[in-house]
Amino acid sequence: MAIIDPIINGLSSGWQHIDASALEKDRHFEADVVIVGTGAGGGTAAEILSQAGLKVIMIEGGALKSSTHFDMEERHAYPNLYQQAAALKTADKGIGIFQGRTVGGSTTINWTTSIRTPEPTLNFWQQAKSVQGLSATELQPWFEKMEQRLNIEQWQYEANRNNAALRQGCEKLGWEYTVIKRNVKGCWNTGYCGMGCPVNAKQSMLLTTIPSALDNGATLISRAKVVKLEHKGDKVVGLTAQAMTEGVKPTALTITFSAKHYILSAGAIHTPTILMRSNTPDPHKQLGKTFLHPSLLSGAMFSEQINGHSGAPQSIYSDEFVWQDGAAGELGYKLEVAPVHPVLIASKTIGYGVSHAQLMANFNQMQVTIALIRDGFNEQSPGGQVRLTDDSFALDYPLTEGFWRGAKRAFLSMAELQFAAGAKKVLPMHDGLNFFDSWNDAKQGINQLDLGLIKTIVASAHVMGGCAMGEDKTQAMVNSYGHSHYLENLSVMDGSVFPTSLGANPQLSIYGIVARNATALAQKLTQSS
Amino acid sequence: MKRRTFITGAFAGTAALALGVNLYSPTLTTASDDVHHRVLFSVFIPIFLDGSLPEVANHREMAINRTLDAIVQSIDHLPQAQQAELMELLDLLEGRFGLLLLSGSMTPLLGREPKQLIDMLEFWRNSFLDMLNTAYTGLRELIMASYYACPEHWGNLRYAKPTFLVSHSN
Repeated sequence: MAIIDPIINGLSSGWQHIDASALEKDRHFEADVVIVGTGAGGGTAAEILSQAGLKVIMIEGGALKSSTHFDMEERHAYPNLYQQAAALKTADKGIGIFQGRTVGGSTTINWTTSIRTPEPTLNFWQQAKSVQGLSATELQPWFEKMEQRLNIEQWQYEANRNNAALRQGCEKLGWEYTVIKRNVKGCWNTGYCGMGCPVNAKQSMLLTTIPSALDNGATLISRAKVVKLEHKGDKVVGLTAQAMTEGVKPTALTITFSAKHYILSAGAIHTPTILMRSNTPDPHKQLGKTFLHPSLLSGAMFSEQINGHSGAPQSIYSDEFVWQDGAAGELGYKLEVAPVHPVLIASKTIGYGVSHAQLMANFNQMQVTIALIRDGFNEQSPGGQVRLTDDSFALDYPLTEGFWRGAKRAFLSMAELQFAAGAKKVLPMHDGLNFFDSWNDAKQGINQLDLGLIKTIVASAHVMGGCAMGEDKTQAMVNSYGHSHYLENLSVMDGSVFPTSLGANPQLSIYGIVARNATALAQKLTQSS
Repeated sequence: MKRRTFITGAFAGTAALALGVNLYSPTLTTASDDVHHRVLFSVFIPIFLDGSLPEVANHREMAINRTLDAIVQSIDHLPQAQQAELMELLDLLEGRFGLLLLSGSMTPLLGREPKQLIDMLEFWRNSFLDMLNTAYTGLRELIMASYYACPEHWGNLRYAKPTFLVSHSN
């Protein structure tokens, strides 16, 4: 069955899109506002600013791919749509990171989970991080606006068996659980969100705000990697990007930009990296402090079919353990599930040879629960630090004693939950372990585990921080509207403004906060022109 | 390209001094390297994928060759720094001194029995040195991901993508 591709149609209708891999010479562009990055922040800002009548250019390092290219195969999705082909890792290889690199950013490949910023997080930011004007009440209209814009609604279908196991375990144990809200319209419930929605149901930036901005006359330049801001005094005076090849490798061609205002929305690693490479002011050494929701995985074998690859990837979560000890107390963790696709599972499980082959042979009976550790709220979890290397960047993220204590509790909770949901055996993803056959065995075994770097599988799909917001310059790079404390025509509008992690999947927090900040910026820019 | 990325810090310095050789070679990867690396991976694939590969000889050979092609593609998608690390590991495994350093023996991997190869992997896997853990996990992830990336290897999983989109381009 042929699926209509709205991106192909839009391009045919005259959208201004330049694929930098096709450029033959250096180019220069001018606009009112240049936005670096087209993910949750860049996409939202582009729509709002272009609606206000401003001339907007969006620059994206990845390629413009759409449903025509989304063939539901990991071997194509990871290299085409993810940073470093989904093989991005922290410097010590302790954490694998999944982040989008395509038009629409991570919204093109995320699992559609949409959660407002938790109130304890907002309160913590206000009390400890000098953030102003972002209380739950003040943000409510912005969340409502974006929920309406992106069709964010509670998932009405029955959860797939992978998620139902999480719900069932919570019910049995009396733990809190919530049905997830998703940004989808006409979802086919197939389960391939992580490889790009093949039926254009996911209301990602690729299908909503970016087409809207292009309809409003904005220009999109893809396969162009911004490498530097030029600044003079307290103003940004230009921006330089490198054209990339079709395979997204650097070329010698450069593209330069000048604008009245510049917005960095390149994500929580690349936004601070661009600022570092540009030697912008950072007198209090706040740039690049990064949070990851480092996550643990627990596999469980059921006697019945789970088919964790099929159906909405995430439809249930549990916050039973996120805030148990208060925001600044022992590290809390959110329980969710991960979809079960071959490459993801083969590489993020443990062992090799016959034991791994048996694990894979029971692929369809496997349920995978994940625990996302809430980092950045106290000295036990200071987060990571982005730094420049000769030709790229590295992310140092030390996994602390406090983290490993939280990880052990998370493995215990996941095993207890999976057995309560009817699992026959459970395998916490720590190298060298065998399946536990009962909750009692698991409890004893996990308590004796010597968790540690590389041996314990840790992954992240939520990169946050790196250019924190707040009114106190000793703690923050930008103010609570995302406006730079040092360069008057520079804003940051993406997950890098979060002063800690969130304790929730980040996309809706980015949409809501950026909608507020971009609206204020649009008013300012249109009044001054 | 900077190549001294896999071996870092005091361990590398000590080992190089003890052996009286410089383990760091700044040469770029060449096509002949790729052929050697293919041979090296063909030694590891049956170990990592024991129980997953087909048992019928010609099917098994096809699956190994398909995985080798997928590994080449996977490596090509890695960023430069990770490619450099991997190439350094592979170069070490192809040289006598590197092998001695990483496995305690100079016997080429091609001449080792499966049990000896498993012992080497287990030594890496359980080592207190992060460098050896990284060698194990890096090869493991690369081989597993490359094998299971191929739809023709999904038969045992009973996994197939939906068929409603038959004309999608790759």
